[in-house]
Amino acid sequence: MHAPVTEALQFIDLNLSYILFLIAVGFIGGLVSGFIGSGGAFVLTPGMMSLGVPGNVAVASNMCHKFPKALVGAIKRHRYGQVDIKLGLIMGAFAEIGVQVGIQVQTAILSRWGQAGSNLYVSLAFVSVLIVVGSFVMRDAMKIKKSGGDVGSAPTLAKRLQKIELWPMLTFKTAGVRISMWFIVPVAFATGMLAATIAVGGFIGVPGLMYIVGVTSIVASATELVVAFVMGLGGTLIWAYYGMVDIRLTLLILGGSLFGVQLGAIGTTYVKDYMIKLVMATIMLIVAVSRFLALPQYLDQLQVTSFGDGVSTMLTQLSFYVMCFALLLGAGIILFSLFRARSAEMAAEQASMQA
Amino acid sequence: MTRQRQKEVQAQEPGAVEKAREASAMAVSRPVIIFLTRTPSLAESVIEYVVAIADRLGLKIVAVFVNTMPQLHQRSSFKRRMERSAAIFSEKARTRGLDFSAVRDSGRLAVVVKRLCHTVKRVEFVLIDHGISRELVASVAPVPVFSVLSTGPVAGEAGMSDRLPTLTGETPMVTQQRKRHVVKTITFGAATAGLYGAMFAFPDTVMHYWTKGGFYALLPVATVFAFSYVHGTFTSNFWSALGIEGSKAAAKKQAEKRSGMVETTRKRPDTRPRLRAE
Repeated sequence: MHAPVTEALQFIDLNLSYILFLIAVGFIGGLVSGFIGSGGAFVLTPGMMSLGVPGNVAVASNMCHKFPKALVGAIKRHRYGQVDIKLGLIMGAFAEIGVQVGIQVQTAILSRWGQAGSNLYVSLAFVSVLIVVGSFVMRDAMKIKKSGGDVGSAPTLAKRLQKIELWPMLTFKTAGVRISMWFIVPVAFATGMLAATIAVGGFIGVPGLMYIVGVTSIVASATELVVAFVMGLGGTLIWAYYGMVDIRLTLLILGGSLFGVQLGAIGTTYVKDYMIKLVMATIMLIVAVSRFLALPQYLDQLQVTSFGDGVSTMLTQLSFYVMCFALLLGAGIILFSLFRARSAEMAAEQASMQA
Repeated sequence: MTRQRQKEVQAQEPGAVEKAREASAMAVSRPVIIFLTRTPSLAESVIEYVVAIADRLGLKIVAVFVNTMPQLHQRSSFKRRMERSAAIFSEKARTRGLDFSAVRDSGRLAVVVKRLCHTVKRVEFVLIDHGISRELVASVAPVPVFSVLSTGPVAGEAGMSDRLPTLTGETPMVTQQRKRHVVKTITFGAATAGLYGAMFAFPDTVMHYWTKGGFYALLPVATVFAFSYVHGTFTSNFWSALGIEGSKAAAKKQAEKRSGMVETTRKRPDTRPRLRAE
């Protein structure tokens, strides 16, 4: 490990509007994370950078708020009996390896093609993974919705994999799954790789748990919080070792996100299983569009295309707004579903009391 | 429990052990269900619940009214209220043709339960009223312990309506929980404000040490852990105080699923063929 950073980093001065912005984005991000297990923090890094926070400080401060948020969310959802701790810890351990490999890949790309090459790689990873996985999850969510919300049994691939008796076989009681460790390792590894690349490992972790391991979306999204905690803690220790964490930013985001993550976790107890898939797929697909809009800037920098400064700057700004829209839409769907289902349950309760 | 303390408890209610023995003797022919309560004024629904169980299982009822705080409760008042509840209990049991006896005792619950289980014969199980810790009773009772939950109107006390649903449709239990959440919200909210105040009151010092790196990396990590506990508890209670909690229907489903899991994980009988010596 390298020596800690000794020179003074540029930390921003906070004013009231910045504080309110961070708390608000933290709340919305927390709400989404509590509901789909991950994916609420991707707006924060570019959001903080737009306030003038250096990139590495933004990433470090974001990561430092993610693991306590995931911890609080996991505890809350564990109370609802949705978390498989054993599965989460095993996934977390292998995801950590994926994170380290992902960092090495990033470093190699950075040294060979520079910052623009690295950004292009990140954006391409964003677009390709989110479009492929997002459209698959969306198709599945719509299919379940059409069939009246009946989840049915585990997906075909997961069923087949569960039948393969390959030592060591692991049994997960909360998830209700018995599967070989060798099918969990690639999912966890890919989760870690994605987390190191686009900072949201859950976009692979949750679908992987659902379609490869065969866990329900409620348990998958809850267990992903444990994975996020393990990965976040490891990452934070490294960033904090280099003195990159701006604790003020972290605490402000955490201030909002802990309200959100609790509400998101409560939301999962009211909605049907497919709603988690629907919200996740919606966010993934819109974020894919957002990152697609950011591609011309990096292609220009690598002199592959020549869109011009004006166009690429405009598209980059548009990309950020689209990303914010994805998060707001996700949060809106969660809040709407939560309060609609809650009022329906309360009305049914009152009716039964009167009867 | 020392012998001295046992004597002391027995001295508080001199007839309790004898009454329990009598009740047991009467019930030699029938197994007994011990109903344990700390409340002298029982809810009518609780009485009905206990009587219905005893009727279904063909058991005799021994209702034990325990005054756990004899120093605070006036004994005469406890006795009067208990007798009123016992009369209603007895009447309801009589209409179903069940044997019933009431016992009044005082002292610590664990001691009373231990003594009862030794004096009363053929105890099938202990049924506890709400407000009594199941773990505590189960730790001393050699028989299974079950609990009763009820929010119905109180028998024998027309003036006491603390268990009736309120005008907002909430039962007092819910209201009490809500109050507890409000208290916790205020306590942990103040603690959270204090923590934020401390961190932002000295930004330069905090930023100097928290960004030093090396072993100082533990400072931000420890800080967020502390915040996640204090602020996390605050936010959790905040939503609960506002009445925004997890779905009850989902919790019920989860409980059913769990009980189903217990059923499915029951050990299968060993049906393998065995060699037999001729």
